[in-house]
Amino acid sequence: MERSSERYVDPVIEAYKKDLDRTLIRENLRRTPEERLRALMEMQRFAVELRRAARAAR
Amino acid sequence: MMPTRFPELLRALSEAGVEFVVVGGAAAVARGSVRLTQDLDVAYRRTPENMRRLVKALSSHRPYLRGAPVGLPFVLDESTLRAGLNFTLVTDLGWIDLLGEVTGGGGYDELVRHSSELELFGTRCPVLGLDKLIDVKRAAGRPKDFEVIAELEAIREMERGG
Repeated sequence: MERSSERYVDPVIEAYKKDLDRTLIRENLRRTPEERLRALMEMQRFAVELRRAARAAR
Repeated sequence: MMPTRFPELLRALSEAGVEFVVVGGAAAVARGSVRLTQDLDVAYRRTPENMRRLVKALSSHRPYLRGAPVGLPFVLDESTLRAGLNFTLVTDLGWIDLLGEVTGGGGYDELVRHSSELELFGTRCPVLGLDKLIDVKRAAGRPKDFEVIAELEAIREMERGG
């Protein structure tokens, strides 16, 4: 059976949707695509810094 | 690891005239996802000319197989690209995955039909659209993608006013 994403409603995915933070997504959708990627790079830098701090704390 | 320098990577590909489509997590972020992804996934056209351009774009950024033991001989050139299909690389500009084919999405020619150009860092890049991103994630069938699919579908609903 073809499962085009437009037509197929997966109850598992619907369950996951209930836990999404839509305010975060809505805020992100107000940004341009470039601003979204810049925000991603900021998150990456933060993740790198967290890992560095965790290593230093060991 | 270091943060991926999306502006420099995308500019390097564009300036070399590489035919590519941004897919995967970075495409999802460009389309509105708030999830953290570490690399730039691109589907590239597997013509000899395009593979030459791809090598030209990346060779000065010290491409190496990600996770491979240090010292393993690896040169990103046309014969390497011809001999393989998908490559997960680390470069001076961060992590980049070169995909000759994407499960459930096909190759460049199929994917580019489901993409649209976005203005990114001073260049226009083809980025896979939401519908195909969802199809590809569904085709992968991995439990870890369930949350991603849910988010992408929610974005699609919100963009349609839901």
